[in-house]
Amino acid sequence: MASIKQLGLNPVQRQSLVISLTAFFTGLLVIALISVLALISIRGGAYFWPQPIYAVSYSQGGITHKVLAQRYLSDETERVFQLNYSDFHHPYGTQALVKESDIVAESLAIESAQIKLTDGRNLLATPMFLRTPTGDKESLDEYADVKRTVNQINNEIYRISSEQLADIHNALAALDAKDVAIDAPAREKLVAQFHRVQEKVIELEGQLSEYLLALTFSGSQTLFIKVSDIATVTYVSQLNYVEKWQVVVQNLITFLTESPKQANTSGGVFPALFGTILMVFLMTIIVTPFGVLAAIYLSEYAPDNGFTTAIRISVSNMAGVPSIVYGVFGLGFFVYSVGGSIDALFFSDSLPAPTMGTPGVFWAALTMAILTLPVVIVATEEGLRRVPEGLKAGSYALGATKIETIMKTILPIASPGIMTGVILAIARAAGEVAPLMLVGAVKFAPNLPFDGEFPYLHLDRQFMHLGVLIYDGAFHSQTDAKSASMMFAACLLLLVVVFVLNVLAVILRTRLRKRYLQG
Amino acid sequence: MLKLFEHNTLNVDEIDEASTAIDVRQFNLWFGGKQVLHDISMRIPKNKVTALIGQSGCGKSTLVSSFNRLNDLYNGCKYSGEILIDGRNINSKKINVSRLRTRVGMVFQRPNPFPMSIYDNVCYGLRLQGVKTRRKLDDAVESTLKEAALWEEVKDRLFEPAHLLSGGQQQRLVIARALALKPDILLLDEPTSALDPLTTLFIEELMASLKKRCTIVIVTHNMQQAARVSDYTAFFHQGRLIEYADSDTLFTMPEKKQTEDYITGRYG
Repeated sequence: MASIKQLGLNPVQRQSLVISLTAFFTGLLVIALISVLALISIRGGAYFWPQPIYAVSYSQGGITHKVLAQRYLSDETERVFQLNYSDFHHPYGTQALVKESDIVAESLAIESAQIKLTDGRNLLATPMFLRTPTGDKESLDEYADVKRTVNQINNEIYRISSEQLADIHNALAALDAKDVAIDAPAREKLVAQFHRVQEKVIELEGQLSEYLLALTFSGSQTLFIKVSDIATVTYVSQLNYVEKWQVVVQNLITFLTESPKQANTSGGVFPALFGTILMVFLMTIIVTPFGVLAAIYLSEYAPDNGFTTAIRISVSNMAGVPSIVYGVFGLGFFVYSVGGSIDALFFSDSLPAPTMGTPGVFWAALTMAILTLPVVIVATEEGLRRVPEGLKAGSYALGATKIETIMKTILPIASPGIMTGVILAIARAAGEVAPLMLVGAVKFAPNLPFDGEFPYLHLDRQFMHLGVLIYDGAFHSQTDAKSASMMFAACLLLLVVVFVLNVLAVILRTRLRKRYLQG
Repeated sequence: MLKLFEHNTLNVDEIDEASTAIDVRQFNLWFGGKQVLHDISMRIPKNKVTALIGQSGCGKSTLVSSFNRLNDLYNGCKYSGEILIDGRNINSKKINVSRLRTRVGMVFQRPNPFPMSIYDNVCYGLRLQGVKTRRKLDDAVESTLKEAALWEEVKDRLFEPAHLLSGGQQQRLVIARALALKPDILLLDEPTSALDPLTTLFIEELMASLKKRCTIVIVTHNMQQAARVSDYTAFFHQGRLIEYADSDTLFTMPEKKQTEDYITGRYG
């Protein structure tokens, strides 16, 4: 390698060369950072932005297709568009890649709407008319009234099933528990009552299916969908700027508060967001005292010998162990060994079905705590080392014992250092995916780990995690641009979560530093 | 007035037990394998100011730190011999070191206020003793800050962080912090070496007023200071006590050649 001196430059030129080189790489770094943020923000933000619907005619293989589509530019140079479209054969959406040159005609479909169903599916269609028990072709202006009627019926069904059916089921279960014979009069009476209620529900459901919305795509065929299945109807092509933002806010609320639907391709990510925050929170509670106490021992009490040094080096090296190794450790040790032992000791009634011996949010938090422990220990030790000797001596000279000195003088002064460690730990745990998939994070969890049922916090339950959701979403991205956007939106959210957690911790650290480290 | 002159005639070898604050008997101290103090024997009288002088590294600070067992904090520190305070050997294992340190206060070279308010700094030792009553703490803060001649300057900002004070004020705060425990003995380890001359004068005056209520041992590099403030002076050289006498004698008619060379500035 040629030395910089052999280039025949004078010292000033050499220096400016060094400066340009270092500045160049800093520039690259800035570009990389901005690209990541820009890509995630733009693609993530696009998920919430209502795309107008076009009526597109294109010819492929000699056949002309007429579809209602939202189009995305998929290849800049080749001018290829990705059309997400609905037609009579694919009402709930499919996709096509179409060259710009193949598009025969294209116009904004003012009358068409994006219709979201309650199960998370999406249609792009032109609503034609409503069919109700009273009229065959009601005007679309009646939609709000019809929707209200349908909601009332829906509520009635919900009320009957939650109030009456539940009681009957409970009564039947009580009879079962008492071993009452199948043909006992009490039981038969209940069963008859059950049938009566069920008939009522069926009747109401029959009523529901009489309220229909007629849709058409670009042909003449008409598709009827039940009004009760519809979540929202948005005429995206008619929206002005303010209304678009209203839709964005609406989408954002849905995204943040609802459960995922359609295999995590639509709906919201609330359980994943909740799971991520809960897991990080539990991990912080576990790792902070653990790491701080270990660091206090290492730095204040441990004898200064080779063994202590060996422990210190191992702790630093633990920070570099691949995270999947911790995942395997968590699965093998916490889940199977510890969880299995707990099951054998306390939940032996329900064996072989495991209670604690399965992956769950607590084991995930413990595994992440072990994973982030080195970070906390190293940062805390660094903070403890920075406490001036004079202050410690001053405390001892006033009659403080070692533990009093640590509690009243050393720890407060080291607290900014400890906070730094906790910040790093939080950032790492929030973004980790691989070990979580082994110890408790799942693609879809039916229940949150927290609910109104005693003991409220169910540490044994599996949970959803934003990182795992993104990982899962990435598999859809090659075929479904929409779900890729949901993945990007989840990425954006994960970034925001980590950013908010970090900002909170940094504010706390700055306040502690102001309080204890001046002078 | 008579008493002021009296000490000038008192011989250090004739201090009786009743008026002895610290009785050092054949004290040796090692750091690692290195012997730092060699066979020190001296009696430090009560309610007097005793100055320890000598070159850097002669062991005078180490000796002072032995009076409140602060050397215990350092690894590899061993010692032999006896140091008696109130007739009890403080080197004994039975001694409660924390209680000893509340009886023997110490002020260091660099002001080291804790990163807390002025009020909390003064209360630090008292709170460790279990004093919780607000009124007792308030009284202690006021009286000790008055004793340390700091009250007038800080009485309106007791709850401001202590590090906002100037260096001299911080050092007086640290003295007040030590006085709050009402110690019998106050050890000052080069208390003015980081301060300007005016503040130094302030602290010297403070010492003169404090010796009514406690014994003061001061380590100093400043010979004028030793001559000004102390009643007795001990000269150390390479871990040995060379000469110990009342200050007037030591600074005017030293017995040993080494002492004379040092105080006249021929070396050190």
